[in-house]
Amino acid sequence: MSLMNAAYLAQTGYPELMAAPTLAHYLLVSALMFGIGLIGFLTRRNLIIMFLCTELMFQAAGIALVAFGRYHLDFTGQTFVIFVLTVAAAEAAMALALVVLLFRSKESLDAQEWTELKG
Amino acid sequence: MQSIVGPLLAMADTPAAAAEYVAPGVGPAYALLVPVLPLIAFVLCAVCAAMRVKSKLPAWITVGLLACSFGVTLAATMAVRAGGPMISHGFEWINFSWGDGPGQAFVADFSLYLDSLTCLWMLFVTGLATLIALYASEYMSHDVGQGYNRFFAAFSLFVFSMACLVMADNLVLLYLGWEGVGLCSYLLIGYFYKKPSAVAAAKKAFIVNRIGDLFLALGIMLCFVHFGSVEYKTIFEQARPYMELLTQGRIAEIPAIAQIIPLLLMVGAFGKSAQLPLYVWLPDAMEGPTPVSALIHAATMVTAGVFLIARAYPLFLISESALPIVGWVGALTALLAATIGMAQFDIKRIMAYSTVSQLGYMFAGLAVLGSTAAAAHVFTHAFFKAMLFLSCGAVMHGFAGQLDLRKLSGVGSMPGWRIVSIAMLIGCLNLAGFPVITAGFWSKDMILGDAFANPSLQAIGWILLLTAGLTAYYTFRVYFRVFAGPQQYEMGDEHHGTHDDAHAHGDHHGGHGHEPGHGGGHDKHDDHHDHDDHHDTPHAPGWAINTVLAVLAVASFAILIPLKSGPDAGWVGSMVSGSSARTIGDAAYLHSAHGAGHAHATFFGFDAHKAMLVVSSIVGLVGIGVAYWLHRAGRTTAATARADALLPAAGPLARWAQNKWYVDELYDAIVRKPLLILSHLFHVIDRYLVDGLVDLLGWAPRGAGRTLRPSQSGQLHGYALGMAGGIVAFLVIVLLVIT
Amino acid sequence: MEQIINPYILYGLCAIGAVGVCLALPRRGRSPQIVGALLAALAGAGALAALALKNPTDLPNIYFYIFSAIGLGAALRVITHPRPVYAALYFVLTVIATGGLFLVLSAEFMALAMIIVYAGAILITYLFVIMLATQAPKEGEVETLTGYDTQAREPIAATVVGFVLVGVLTSLMFTSVQGEPPAPNLQLGAGERAAGAGLAVKRGGDHPDALLAEMPRRVERAVRDAEIMPEGHTFRRLEGGRLEIDPQARTVTVVDASGAARQLPLPDDLVVTNTERVGFNLLRDHPGAIEIAGVILLMAMLGAVVLSRKQVQIDEEAKLHQQQRLAGSSAGRTGGAA
Repeated sequence: MSLMNAAYLAQTGYPELMAAPTLAHYLLVSALMFGIGLIGFLTRRNLIIMFLCTELMFQAAGIALVAFGRYHLDFTGQTFVIFVLTVAAAEAAMALALVVLLFRSKESLDAQEWTELKG
Repeated sequence: MQSIVGPLLAMADTPAAAAEYVAPGVGPAYALLVPVLPLIAFVLCAVCAAMRVKSKLPAWITVGLLACSFGVTLAATMAVRAGGPMISHGFEWINFSWGDGPGQAFVADFSLYLDSLTCLWMLFVTGLATLIALYASEYMSHDVGQGYNRFFAAFSLFVFSMACLVMADNLVLLYLGWEGVGLCSYLLIGYFYKKPSAVAAAKKAFIVNRIGDLFLALGIMLCFVHFGSVEYKTIFEQARPYMELLTQGRIAEIPAIAQIIPLLLMVGAFGKSAQLPLYVWLPDAMEGPTPVSALIHAATMVTAGVFLIARAYPLFLISESALPIVGWVGALTALLAATIGMAQFDIKRIMAYSTVSQLGYMFAGLAVLGSTAAAAHVFTHAFFKAMLFLSCGAVMHGFAGQLDLRKLSGVGSMPGWRIVSIAMLIGCLNLAGFPVITAGFWSKDMILGDAFANPSLQAIGWILLLTAGLTAYYTFRVYFRVFAGPQQYEMGDEHHGTHDDAHAHGDHHGGHGHEPGHGGGHDKHDDHHDHDDHHDTPHAPGWAINTVLAVLAVASFAILIPLKSGPDAGWVGSMVSGSSARTIGDAAYLHSAHGAGHAHATFFGFDAHKAMLVVSSIVGLVGIGVAYWLHRAGRTTAATARADALLPAAGPLARWAQNKWYVDELYDAIVRKPLLILSHLFHVIDRYLVDGLVDLLGWAPRGAGRTLRPSQSGQLHGYALGMAGGIVAFLVIVLLVIT
Repeated sequence: MEQIINPYILYGLCAIGAVGVCLALPRRGRSPQIVGALLAALAGAGALAALALKNPTDLPNIYFYIFSAIGLGAALRVITHPRPVYAALYFVLTVIATGGLFLVLSAEFMALAMIIVYAGAILITYLFVIMLATQAPKEGEVETLTGYDTQAREPIAATVVGFVLVGVLTSLMFTSVQGEPPAPNLQLGAGERAAGAGLAVKRGGDHPDALLAEMPRRVERAVRDAEIMPEGHTFRRLEGGRLEIDPQARTVTVVDASGAARQLPLPDDLVVTNTERVGFNLLRDHPGAIEIAGVILLMAMLGAVVLSRKQVQIDEEAKLHQQQRLAGSSAGRTGGAA
């Protein structure tokens, strides 16, 4: 039985355990994931992991968007996630190219190696 | 101050010619050539300079065009004699208007106001300028090339400016000329610009004149404010009601502002004409080449102040205090300069002080309502003083710059120096006021007579009389020391031409204190010229100098003819009385107002004018006699004379006079030093306060940057943390606002 | 405004979570990562429990808890695992869990797109880059972790900022979002559809079933499958081939040969799926955005190509280092051959 049908069943007389979560649940998860992503971005020094953390934050935003769309009967939320995916893909392409470039020049992925903007 | 003008006016001559004010007619257009020809000469000389002409071409251009200018002036004089005052319109120069009413337009055209006073002035300005340019063509010959071009360009420009000054029909054009002659004076005093003393003298002349010029400008502005115009014809027209008030004795009803105008103009005149307290620049101006000294600083430019007062005489008459101040300043200047002149040894400098002294005479003459006498004295003085300077210049030229009268003796009896000597003698006789045969005697005598004819200004008369005696003494002191006596000389230690004025640097009398470093070679083409006579033998003046001196000598006698051709200064008097200096005097009103009770004051019971003929003759002859006794009789060497024995008797006075009464030092102490201290103070303020504030402006962001710079670690995480923190802070604020 | 969770409880949980995450971050030497992880998990569970306690009769779907736990746990592991490869793999897990959450949210298309694009494409790129940008250990050497992977930078400041953000965000969200149930799922039964339609119309939108007019073939096929099309009738076509559908009554207008129209009721199982709705929303409502996204992707591709082709000036030291390494490896090879 597919998950979709499970949800369908839930609507048609499943136990309370299977009740639909409220919007607040998703937003909480989204916020937590965003926070984790942010903390990761701020603490990890590996450039690749830092980019992974930005992707985490994208995920969090995606969850929030889809949840809002779902709870407001507006499919633009999902459309938005598609664009987020697009941007994430573009960003990943560019960023990873940059990472490769940076790695080639310093043989390191440590973000602290690059301090040319030091005042 | 007690009004003395009213009684003075009552005393004034009332010539029949002093008729009603006549509105000026339309003058001939050719009169415009008088200023334009020198301007063309200036342009051509400038072109010569640009083309690096190395011949005497600029001199001939200048002489020729100035002679033409003189000719045109003669023609204009004829026209004015026939037709009265007239205005030759050149072109519209300044014309603003902001309404149709009176005083709502500022009009200053380039137009020439031709009256007899203008013509009198222009006659001797262009005439002397022509002669002196001829003289300079030889005198400056050592400098043929760029310097020669420069000299004649400035010379021509001076004549143009002087023509503007004298012929202007409005005060603004006069001011243009006034500044123009100041500029040319500056350029020509500083002609030897490689010599520090010449540069300093030029600056001194310019700066001291600035003071006077400021007041002149203020006077002109006030004139416009009060009379609503800067044109003479309007101003004179507007001043007529005041004149009538004056003649009715209602001086108090004349607005104070109208009485202030002449005071301001007067200070301008003091500056340009080297009167107390602004006379200090003129002696130093002798740093310039001698022709310049003769033309600008003796004959023409320095009389601009006299001209200004004569031209604006109606304005001076309506002021209670202007003319008395002019009189006292003139008299005191005359005395002071004469006393200084007595004690100097540099003959050119003596002549400079004599010029200051004679200018004082002229001012005093104006003040005692002897405008005719003053103008006559300007006229005669221009000739004989130019001649004296040119003679001194010839000596200087011939003796390699020697000007110390203790090192020259018997020049008159040397071969080739006869004409110079005779010219010098004639000049000295004129200056000393040798009775009857000299023009200088008559013009000086008129001033003295006018002074003694005034009951309230007899003190001025006494000062002037004393000055006349001193003048006779110091003038002949020069003559007897330099041109008479045993032949003895010591050459100047300079290439005479190039540095002819190093000697004018007054305080060293030994002749050995010349500034080093000017000795040779900066002017190549004078070497060959000087080799044969430098430090060797004097060379007598050439044909140009002799011709000019001869012409001037003849002329200084010849001007007796116009001066004595009729009563009351003859032709000269008629020239003056037909001009603004006399026409509006309208002394007839005074007589009607004050009655006939005001007779001329008398000189110990005699008629002042007649008595002065005798008294001033005696004074002049006594002065000459004293000079003979002290400096000629029994003198065997150049350096010593009987006068030396008298010096101890004079005590410190002689030393003080020799040191020019320490006026320069006084000015140094009361003007320059405080200014210096003030400027140091301002320097300190600027350095520490202003600069500090400016630096603070620079330091503040620098310090802020230094403080904030560590936050820009260049670390990616730092920036990310900052961004996240900023967002968080913003959200916290939002949250706090919401709840 | 009343919040779903008491703010003080929320802040307390945030603080616990912050401590947990802070502890869980990698450190040099031994570190209580497990304790931290547990603390963080405790805080997360506490938050969810608080939400559940607020509304105990309406507990959410069990799958929500499962996927949330997997997603957040994997996310925590992404940022705490010292090895980039593992981090990337944990990120895959997060993506899959997010996909699960999307399914619970009945966003099937997004769930699968997310997994395919993220887990299938982007993460593979990451793994390639990790492979390219990690130095292979030399022979005989134990692979060591680099310092910058094993040591977190400013963990306390970062966690404070992160959890203050979480706290503030949740506070803000919970002041405006109450425990509202999801909107009716339009692709489920008739009752849901009617409720959703009511909601949509109330909000000023179109009737959800109006989209059927845009999908004539789908309707045709459903009608044909249901075999309810009367003989000799065809659908009446409007401009652009659209059908004339009355969404309220769920009827479609058909005409016979003579042109006489009649209303044909639509079969009950003819529903517009969520994927179809997303498609219409994306392509019909946001065509410009799609164009722009295409350009962005193209530019990113060009940029990546240009950047990766760029010749990097390696500084002298690095060059020397590399030469030595090459020499060493060739020596090793020759030695091995000998």
